[in-house]
Amino acid sequence: MDEPISPGDRPAMGRSPGISEPAPPAAPSAPVRAPSLRRWLASPLALAPLILLGLVVAVLAIASEGQYFGLSFWGPVWEFIPTDPAGSTYGIALFALGTAITAGIALILASGLSLAIAIALTTYLPPRTGRILTTLTDLLAGIPSVVYGIWGFVVLAPYFASTVEPNLRNALGWLPGFGGPESAIGGGTGLLLGIFILTLMVIPLTTAVMRESLRSVPRDVVEAGLALGATPWEVVRRVRLRVARRGLWGAVFLGFGRAIGESVALAMVLGNTIQYPPSIYGGSYTIASFIFTQLDSAFFYPELLRALVEFALVILLITIAFNLLGQRAVSGVRTRTVPGAGGRA
Amino acid sequence: MSLPSLPSAPLGDLRGSAARWRRRHLLDRAMRWGLPLALLVVLFPLFDMIYWIAVRALPTFTWATLTTDQVGLGGGLYAMIVGSFTLLALATGFAAAVGIAAGMYTAEYAPPSIARWARVAGNLLAGIPAIVLGYFGYYALVLYTHWGYTTLAGGITLGVFMVPFVYRTADLAFANVPSEQREAALAMGARPGQYLVRVALPIALPAILSGVFLAMAIGLGETAPLLYTAGWSSTPVAGLFQPTSFLTGAIWNFYDYPSTEGSFQALAFQAAFLLLILVIGLNVVVQAVAERYRRRTRGMMA
Repeated sequence: MDEPISPGDRPAMGRSPGISEPAPPAAPSAPVRAPSLRRWLASPLALAPLILLGLVVAVLAIASEGQYFGLSFWGPVWEFIPTDPAGSTYGIALFALGTAITAGIALILASGLSLAIAIALTTYLPPRTGRILTTLTDLLAGIPSVVYGIWGFVVLAPYFASTVEPNLRNALGWLPGFGGPESAIGGGTGLLLGIFILTLMVIPLTTAVMRESLRSVPRDVVEAGLALGATPWEVVRRVRLRVARRGLWGAVFLGFGRAIGESVALAMVLGNTIQYPPSIYGGSYTIASFIFTQLDSAFFYPELLRALVEFALVILLITIAFNLLGQRAVSGVRTRTVPGAGGRA
Repeated sequence: MSLPSLPSAPLGDLRGSAARWRRRHLLDRAMRWGLPLALLVVLFPLFDMIYWIAVRALPTFTWATLTTDQVGLGGGLYAMIVGSFTLLALATGFAAAVGIAAGMYTAEYAPPSIARWARVAGNLLAGIPAIVLGYFGYYALVLYTHWGYTTLAGGITLGVFMVPFVYRTADLAFANVPSEQREAALAMGARPGQYLVRVALPIALPAILSGVFLAMAIGLGETAPLLYTAGWSSTPVAGLFQPTSFLTGAIWNFYDYPSTEGSFQALAFQAAFLLLILVIGLNVVVQAVAERYRRRTRGMMA
């Protein structure tokens, strides 16, 4: 019972090394024919993920009552007056800017590094070294956000304030956003540290997806390139990257979905200031980290609660959109080791 | 992914002078040595983080840290450990029940069109920001039910968060059962239910278990779904409808206390250290189980 009988040698399922399209990973040849009644009962169970997803969206939509989705909601002003919560202005733009800056820059950095790592792992490093390093980068995905946060806040922030930021200001001060008066540099928490931490947190996901995309390029084409006398790098640049292009873009989309959803770690290292950051050293908020820090005070103000629900709806819909794009792009690419192919926040 | 997007001569002209040959190979060598440096950029922070958390946590980390309650500014993590594992047990129960059942039906019963939708939804569910799920739990299970902060609300919210990770591995595990096994079982006269329980489940079980462990490792490290559903309590969890503390919450609540003032921050670092050990340990278990599964099915699948 424990050891199933082996039916003997045959080609691997779902792995077709040929030039044709890779077979989709999870498609049984013919589903078991169940009696129709049981099939009907089965559908809701199969659809449990869809039902849960719908439930989350529905609950948020009901909770928001669509109350603040007006002009001022998309506006630049956030002014919460505790004595007059109904007359306050709940504008999302300030926080959306924080999200765009942190997630955008972190994603650019993470994509570059991930691409380099993925190429190194699939083309240049010996398989055994590659396996060990893959395990290590995947480990980065498993570390809880709060642990990134406390490390960033207690260990990195003082170092950023004393060394990294003054040096960066001296070197790149002429660049808009990197200069400013000496007082611009505070305790180390702020956009720069937030971007650094977020980059680290996104890298495992983008690396895993890019690695598997590059790996799934059929070996025949790669070897054909090498046989023509191209160097490994030329094969990477002109063949591997082109063939795997869709999967690589998918990694970027999935990474973005992951980056905009991150709340805890950013709430710890971003400086939590409601302002348009004057420079890269300034404190900021993202939509997610703002919701995270405000929920307990929202308990006392139904209006604030509803405005925050709408914030949550906005990032939910954006993540769903990016994950859909990413999923479409990576369909056919297996991601085995990091299951966050759909993003994880 | 399709090949025809390549131009007719993707590699360009590979002929040329000796100087050009040298240049091309020099570039290749630069990439060979340059690209792996990106790994250093990523792995150095990983080791730095583990090092510093150990340095901050270990001097005050004793057996008592694990077995005493938090008292005033000091004490131990007992309440948070018990709370974390209670929440994790509830969540794992929920996620395993829903995830495995849904995965099995998606792979074995559902018509292809429904299966496709279910898989897309599963991936989207995995992508929902944790804080959004926390808000969902807060509204649906704390405010709407008038329960207030409860262990049960935290467990369910965390469970919803973990469902897609179990679901995806279960779906893949059942779909990867070789079709010969299915055909043989059915040809011998097994009913579909018998086939599922007696043939497919034993083959798929190790992969499913590695998915469950993985979901546990992820769930154990989450803060955002719990903070506004499970609440906080400095004593060990007293019941399903009582609030509870948890390890990640200890870090969030205590991280910004000055390190000189009592040992609140030390408590946060101890919690972080414990979490790192647990999460890394669970990941090792996942790898081991997955490896066992690969070895076990090698005879069938390769």
